[in-house]
Amino acid sequence: MSENVHERGLQLIAKARVEGLSQSEGEWLAAHTRECDFCAEHARQTDRSLRALRTTAIPVPADLAARTQFRVRLRATELRQREPQRRMLWLACAASWIFGIASAPYVWRLFEWLGHRAGLPKLVWELGFGLWWTIPAAFAVIVLLLENARQSEEPDWTKQGG
Amino acid sequence: MRDESKTIARGLQQRDPDLLDRLIEQYQYRLFRYLVYVTGDNARAEDFFQETWIRVLERGHQYDGKSKFEAWLFAIARHLVIDWQRSKKAQSLDALTDPELENPMQFANEKAPSPLQQTLAKESEENVQSSLKKIPAIYREVLVLRFQEELQIEEMASVLSIPVSTVKSRLYRGLDALRGALQGGTA
Repeated sequence: MSENVHERGLQLIAKARVEGLSQSEGEWLAAHTRECDFCAEHARQTDRSLRALRTTAIPVPADLAARTQFRVRLRATELRQREPQRRMLWLACAASWIFGIASAPYVWRLFEWLGHRAGLPKLVWELGFGLWWTIPAAFAVIVLLLENARQSEEPDWTKQGG
Repeated sequence: MRDESKTIARGLQQRDPDLLDRLIEQYQYRLFRYLVYVTGDNARAEDFFQETWIRVLERGHQYDGKSKFEAWLFAIARHLVIDWQRSKKAQSLDALTDPELENPMQFANEKAPSPLQQTLAKESEENVQSSLKKIPAIYREVLVLRFQEELQIEEMASVLSIPVSTVKSRLYRGLDALRGALQGGTA
């Protein structure tokens, strides 16, 4: 029997376990393993290995599910409590933007007037007007950064050593 | 199956605590086993187990119910392990297995009705255990997903974020490595 035939046999033995064989491949392999002891033994070894893998039991710690359920419920409560706060923050930001857009022409005039009164160059009071617009976004960023900082202070299991 | 996935997706979007309790119970064995195989350490697997379910709660709205829930669950668990590993600047999944530990993988005996059978079973378990440790983690992982969790190759590709062809080649190499390792163990 040529080496190529054995090679095909071994390939099909693996293929049968990994992705399955076509009918013709299955028939060829069945015929081949009937005649070839080497390939038949290889198939048996493969099956034994897979059986060993499948039947190896790993015990789950008795209270792991209960501990996890408790932690998940705790986190769910935390998320529920935090949701209205976050919603309020975005509502406040949205209201502030809307108000900002509506009042833009008046604020522009106010900055212009203040600029003239203080004798500031045009670029300076225009810059002041631009900065005024960033206040709501800056406020939102500060709140979010503070919130993130607070979260990172909470004990993090991933930081445990080992 | 599709209806079940859709029901889970709806429940997760609402962060239904009863559904989460049920899922934790239902998938505890499979998820824990997968994590033990991937990390090679029971204590670490316990941590990842809990954190995986926290992520399921937080990101439940991302599950659309179009794929199997377990595939999504394993993908979350895997990403957590990889993130942790990156934070430790390890180079491969194998780095998660601490060779210093006496028994990085703890496996239970199947049934042990008599002392003799118990001893034989223990020897066999230890053999499988030590043989599995010889297999690189990337192959161990695909073997577990395919032959224990019985995921389809396409599902594995989505869990592992790799092409189907890579899943297949890892499976073939893994199968080879498994047979070789077990033969070596029994020799």
